[in-house]
Amino acid sequence: MNHNGIMSFGRTHALWRLVVCLLCLSAATARAQLTIEIVGGGGDQIPITVLPLSSEDKFQQRISEVVAADLSRSGRFRVQDIGSVRPLPSEPSEVNYRYWKNRGSQSLVIGKVTPRADGKVEVRFRMLDTAKEAQVVGYAYTITVPQLRAIAHKIADIIYEKLTGEPGVFSTRIAYVARFPQRFELHVADADGVNSQFILAHKEPIISPAWSPDGTRIAYVSFEQRRSIVFIHNLIDGTRRVLAAYDGINSAPAWSPDGKRIALALSKDGVTQVYLINPDGTGLARVTNSNSIDTEPSFAPDGKHLLFTSDRGGSPQIYRMGIAGDNVERMTFEGNYNVTPRYSPDGKTFAYIQRGQNRYSLALMDIATHQVQILTDSPLDGSPAFAPNGRLILYASIVGGHGILAAVSSDGRIKQKITASAQDVREPAWGPLVSTIERTTN
Amino acid sequence: MNKVLIAICAAMLVFTGCSTKGGSQGKAGVEQRDLFDEKNKDEAARAARVQQEQEDLKRQMEEQKRKDEAARRAAESEQAVVKPLPESGMSEKSLSDPASMLRDPSNPLSKRSIYYDFDAYNIKEEFQSVVEAHAKFLLEHKTMKMRVEGNCDERGSREYNLALGQRRADSVKRALTLLGVPGKQIETVSFGSEKPKSNGHDDDAWAENRRSDLAYVGIDQ
Repeated sequence: MNHNGIMSFGRTHALWRLVVCLLCLSAATARAQLTIEIVGGGGDQIPITVLPLSSEDKFQQRISEVVAADLSRSGRFRVQDIGSVRPLPSEPSEVNYRYWKNRGSQSLVIGKVTPRADGKVEVRFRMLDTAKEAQVVGYAYTITVPQLRAIAHKIADIIYEKLTGEPGVFSTRIAYVARFPQRFELHVADADGVNSQFILAHKEPIISPAWSPDGTRIAYVSFEQRRSIVFIHNLIDGTRRVLAAYDGINSAPAWSPDGKRIALALSKDGVTQVYLINPDGTGLARVTNSNSIDTEPSFAPDGKHLLFTSDRGGSPQIYRMGIAGDNVERMTFEGNYNVTPRYSPDGKTFAYIQRGQNRYSLALMDIATHQVQILTDSPLDGSPAFAPNGRLILYASIVGGHGILAAVSSDGRIKQKITASAQDVREPAWGPLVSTIERTTN
Repeated sequence: MNKVLIAICAAMLVFTGCSTKGGSQGKAGVEQRDLFDEKNKDEAARAARVQQEQEDLKRQMEEQKRKDEAARRAAESEQAVVKPLPESGMSEKSLSDPASMLRDPSNPLSKRSIYYDFDAYNIKEEFQSVVEAHAKFLLEHKTMKMRVEGNCDERGSREYNLALGQRRADSVKRALTLLGVPGKQIETVSFGSEKPKSNGHDDDAWAENRRSDLAYVGIDQ
């Protein structure tokens, strides 16, 4: 190991690249799948009807079904049935607005899927306001068949944003750890749980996955060398490098919003403290300066502050400081165990885990007012992860001795239950908003 | 023997209390020798002799005790290694074989775990003897290396537990170095709550998992 803690794998690294790549390729039959269902809806749900797109049934991925499932699962929409009008309209001129108004459908989604001679597919959709009898939004795409599901998520995002004012997160991905007997797998799945594939698997624990802001890399802590080491894994080509392998613990990676720095918890200098480092392993700088445990850093969206957990006051509590380690301010004062802070995407609140009466619950604190809202009441909740639009919080829970994932909205009303084919899942992390598919306005 | 000594001392005190100083000039100019003085001198000499014998005896007794102790320990070690080796059929091994000492269930070195209270990392008094036994062993076997592994129960933040496990391991290392063990003989690692020994979700399981393990490199792998 050289003096800045980066290990050069040499020949071992080349072998690792091969192994990891093979793992990626062989992940076609994923052993862990997730099913996400809504179990509690929000208030004031927006009624919407999503009609099957004409000719969509020529393909395995039915766009309208994916869109309807996305909107329903978000908890913000009441998705209505498709009624008995046949043939189903695919153009505005074909729409009988009175019929839909009478059924209480405020918004109507119609469209068309057209296979082209060159094997590509043209997808058109329009969202109509039945009261105004006018189109609200409509786009056309030219895609390949494998992109059908992705374009359905994109359409759901557009509809969601138009009607709620928030960005949709249906095109995002989540990461989580699945535990099997004798094996741990780090998985990446679509936000709806589909297409879950592992990017890393071995028999030692994996914790704390953290997405880079551009969604191309994941940092995580792996015990594969029988101690905690931080890796950065490239999702594009499946390669990875060691970020921190110093003496003691190497843990809690958190990317800055501009992707240029990563905050870490290291105990290399005798006590666990918060440090900053460049993604290439250079530029290590110590941020905190206490004789206590300082860990779990979380960047503010403006990149200028960090929340972190510290027991400098005698018990683990949440503090906030400037990224130079200045202006340390204690945030939590209730109870003697407040940990795992996560800044919300808008920087106005943070989620964290609060212990009270032997229960570990998910809580939300408003930074300006310090008001706290408890969002869950199961006994062992942990690892909160905000959706990039701030609306939902993914978290880990233990139910019946098994690790499960769940989600709750920031107002506590929407609840999602996540079932995994793996018996034990934990450590969720929500990937960033990305726009990858070009579109043309129609 | 002591009673005689005391009696002699008492007698000496009586005589010195009563006696006049040395000889004294009588009225006729004749030197009068106090027969008691001579007797005192004799008594003093005898007392000194007795004291000398007493000290010699004490020294002999301590020497014997040391020899007995060494013999006993030697006998115990011999007992511990009297297991025939399959290869050579020998029934004795070198007395200072570290691996055997570590594996002997009647040796305090076989205790390899220190347990902690909830949220705590201090070494409780009941485990002081474990620390001392291992410190002594490491001091006597300078090529042995120990790895202290810190663990936590499953509750709470994984990352905070990782740091707490490190603190538990570090505090054991500190206790050993305070007893003189060189730091380079001890490495520390934390598994946080990631490698629980007990897989239950109750107080007993949690108590079992709040633990530092003392592993010897090359022996306990």
